[in-house]
Amino acid sequence: MKRISSTLTIAAMLTSTAMPAAVQAEADYSKYGIAKDIPGSCSYAAIDAKDYSGQTLNVITHAIPVIGEPTALHAEQFSELTGAEVNVVHVPFGDLFQRIMIPFQSGQNAYDVLFYASLWIGDFNRFLAPVPEAYTASSGMADVTDSFKGVATWNGQMIQYPMDGDRHYLKYRTDVFDNPEMQAKFKEATGRDLAVPTTWEEYNEVASVFSGFDWDGDGELNYGSAEVAKRDDLMFSAFISRAAPYAKHPDVGGGFFFDIETMEPLINTPGFVRGLELFVEAQQAFPPGGTNFGLGDEIFSFGGGQTLMSYSWDDAFIQAQQDGSRIRNAVGAAPLPGAKQVWNRETGEWDSFDEPNRAPYMTWGWSSAVSKESENQEMAFDFLCFFSNEANTFHDLQIGRFGVNPYRDSHFDSAFWQGLGWDADVADSYVTTLSEMEDSTNRVYDLRVPGVGQFMSSMANGVAEALAGQKSPQEALDGVADEWSDIVERIGADRLREAYANVVRLEDNEG
Amino acid sequence: MGRTYHIIKYLCLLVWTAFVVFPFLWALSTSFKDANAVTSGARYLPWVEFEPSVQGWTSLFASGSQGINIVTPFLNSASVTLLASIVSLGLGTLAAYGLSRYSYKVGFVKNSDITFFFISQRIMPPIVLAIPFFLMLKEIQALDTIFGLVIVYVALLLPIAVWVMTDFFASIPKELDEMAMIDGCTPIGAFFRVVLPNSTAGLVVAGMFCLIFGWNDFFFAFILTFTETQLLPVAIVSLNSSVTPWWSLSAFALISVTPLALIAIVVERFMSRGSLAGAFR
Amino acid sequence: MLKPKHFFLLPALLTLAAIILFPLVFTVRVSFSSWDVYQAGLDFIGGRNYARLFEDTRFWESLLRLSGMSLITVTLQYVLGFALALAVWKKMRGGRIFRVLFLVPMMTTPVVMSVIWRTVFHESLGPANDLLSMVGIGPVPWLSSAAGAFISVVIVEVWQWTPFMFLLLLAGLVSLPREPYLAAAIDGASPARTFWQVTFPLMAPISIGAIIIRLIEASKIMDTVYVMTSGGPGTATETPSYYIYIRGLRDFQVGYSAALSLAYLVLMIITLTIIAKVLMRFLVGKET
Repeated sequence: MKRISSTLTIAAMLTSTAMPAAVQAEADYSKYGIAKDIPGSCSYAAIDAKDYSGQTLNVITHAIPVIGEPTALHAEQFSELTGAEVNVVHVPFGDLFQRIMIPFQSGQNAYDVLFYASLWIGDFNRFLAPVPEAYTASSGMADVTDSFKGVATWNGQMIQYPMDGDRHYLKYRTDVFDNPEMQAKFKEATGRDLAVPTTWEEYNEVASVFSGFDWDGDGELNYGSAEVAKRDDLMFSAFISRAAPYAKHPDVGGGFFFDIETMEPLINTPGFVRGLELFVEAQQAFPPGGTNFGLGDEIFSFGGGQTLMSYSWDDAFIQAQQDGSRIRNAVGAAPLPGAKQVWNRETGEWDSFDEPNRAPYMTWGWSSAVSKESENQEMAFDFLCFFSNEANTFHDLQIGRFGVNPYRDSHFDSAFWQGLGWDADVADSYVTTLSEMEDSTNRVYDLRVPGVGQFMSSMANGVAEALAGQKSPQEALDGVADEWSDIVERIGADRLREAYANVVRLEDNEG
Repeated sequence: MGRTYHIIKYLCLLVWTAFVVFPFLWALSTSFKDANAVTSGARYLPWVEFEPSVQGWTSLFASGSQGINIVTPFLNSASVTLLASIVSLGLGTLAAYGLSRYSYKVGFVKNSDITFFFISQRIMPPIVLAIPFFLMLKEIQALDTIFGLVIVYVALLLPIAVWVMTDFFASIPKELDEMAMIDGCTPIGAFFRVVLPNSTAGLVVAGMFCLIFGWNDFFFAFILTFTETQLLPVAIVSLNSSVTPWWSLSAFALISVTPLALIAIVVERFMSRGSLAGAFR
Repeated sequence: MLKPKHFFLLPALLTLAAIILFPLVFTVRVSFSSWDVYQAGLDFIGGRNYARLFEDTRFWESLLRLSGMSLITVTLQYVLGFALALAVWKKMRGGRIFRVLFLVPMMTTPVVMSVIWRTVFHESLGPANDLLSMVGIGPVPWLSSAAGAFISVVIVEVWQWTPFMFLLLLAGLVSLPREPYLAAAIDGASPARTFWQVTFPLMAPISIGAIIIRLIEASKIMDTVYVMTSGGPGTATETPSYYIYIRGLRDFQVGYSAALSLAYLVLMIITLTIIAKVLMRFLVGKET
């Protein structure tokens, strides 16, 4: 835990040498596992100065360890520093939504602070307290990237407190891609040179060539691709990643999942169908049980060295790069594969691209908020601000299982990651991949509207039917489109359009 | 009925025993693994096949960040289960005795319909009632309290107590109560002084079922509590994150099943004496 | 003055009614509303939820699946439980250890043990495939194929609840009268004949009770599916209670899930009553 970005350490040292008197008085917070308290509105020193004894803060968060463990850790620290009693409850992902929603709907003030998936903002926004200006103006917030501020904002107001950054990108094994023997093998099988896939067709091809034999020589069979394919376990995000480049045309705005004008579902248009066909095809390169992999299985599979490639959140990459990992510094990051054929829904035709069309998926990730009903809003925001203060974030970023990933500009600093023992090219590929997504103008966001759970579970169900071979991709997605139309009718097209406008604004770069 | 028969019988029994104990042994082995030992395929023997680590066990008793403290959930679970079982057993025994000794008739509703009403409560899957129960407990401000959970668990356990005890009382000869009443007892007195003392076996079985179904319930405990009154199964599931720590999960599971597994020994003792005779009919 | 007969029955009856009445009435009311994730209120939309339910093939398929699943698991539990009870019924060496061990699984928490079982069936890291590969079988797609997932759930259910059958049937066996056996021995009846002509008929009433109770509990099967398969792959292990859970709590369509729940409840009560009557007639040969 002592390794920290040299620049930051220097910055911190500069501030402390500038105020020698303060250093004398400054308490030592190293027992909390941080390298150094970094000054700011919610630093250890600032929070230490507050007194909330006799007050109670109720927090709901995800299961241990992802987000759940850092929540518990910082809750304990916050409690020690301020004297407040902090109760934390951990809930598995599948049930987090209803555990928050039932009290909201019935007006029960159950939790002050909520950690949840940022895509639920469409459902929760009515129940959340806006982030006060004192916090939006803080130094920690100023450094948060524009896209994650955008994700936290609803109808022009920040109502989520950014504390994590998320996106999907490609991870692959550099030791295999760089191995001449493997390159020859691939050439023999396909006639092409082995390269990091730039389209999903290439991804499937590479995956299938490297599936079913022991390419790392450890005595166990290896496979091509680990993907989140279990129906109720975030598989909807994997499908969006795969379908996005085929369905998100860079010149067509006005909605990815729906046509915002008519609120007609676009989920069964040819772009999505193509994405699903390739998803179905990819199954042959999955490890045993791969069609039932949840995110945890994917992390174990790629992070444990079983598979050649994977794509989804940061976790598998960080797992692979942990101290003591068998494949440390044998992995690389790259943007998600793209598509050379993109469906243009305005002309109703496939458009060809020479350079693959990329549509980075700014997946939902963890976010936090304070309940409007909370009687301790100030303390609640202080807790969130403390949770995400610079010192804590740099600490949390280093621990893969915490699930806290870069979301401030200062996190895209190769030197910081090299300081953790990453090779320079690994750290560079990671930082470049992540920061380039921030610059893309063809990004796809989640369907952040009321009832997103219904839409996504319906979609996941259709995709699962196609993966299991119960239906063809077109049939399956036609079924999903029908269900989506029913949901739109039940919830109300106008209400959905109003919410969906928030998403389209981000996608069309108007936000 | 020769030697071969005995050998085959023992072989079958051993196969079943292996099946029964396998998940426990696997959990025991897993609880001493770390991430590397888990991701390198199935390994069974510590020291021989992997380096044991105690992090799974220590994390259970570490407070706060490093794990979850299981002591509080354990005590909560014990209190809720015991209280609800006692209430259910008390009310259920009285009702069962009534149903076995008197005939009730209101309109077309008869004894068997009343019994069926009790037992039919078990048909309802818990999720059906999750939201109504939530609203009801909110009204009486009993959400996230032991009291609230006990109320709900009584609805869950009372049918079991009625079912077991009705069958049990049916097997106790009516002459027993009649003798007592001839001796001058009131019907209520006869029940408490004569019938109840002869009902230990039935009470044990009914009580055991109440404990099992109470201790093992998950969904109500899950939905009707927030942060204060976590029960054991809920605390265990809170380890069920996207990256599941197999080791602490296994250690936790073993601890949570131990108290009830001890009940098996008590039950077996009663059964061997043949005193569970009338408890199931 | 409270009459004794009311003193016995009323406390339990009123307590249960008090606890259950509001949720039940409320569920009926909600089933006629459009309560969902966006609007939480008791509006009135007539029978729309019920109309939707009739066209919901996923619900009806899940009922069909449940019938198959509970039939298979309860039959297996009954046959295995009976066989085990017969095996350790008479005094034998090590008998008590076997009895205790055989009871243990039913004492354990289903959610917790399902988590363990999921790791057992993990296709590349779990022991199930590892052990099978030693005898040259595999790898079996335990949780990733429709049949495999269904079988895995059945295995866990059989593991968990065979002890219940075992307990009830063994308690029955222990309390059987001796006279019929003496008579059979004098007749020189073979063990098989003794079983079919003496043991089985004497055990009929307790068998019916045990089977019905198990069917009731099996129809709610939820925890195992929730942890092990989440109803998948596809919809291969989705049971009605899990489907209602998805609709009600995951999708938060509270109104619709209330309609589903009530339809399910009515169907279950009818089915189980019929099964109980049929079993009575079939096994006992009399009507009750």
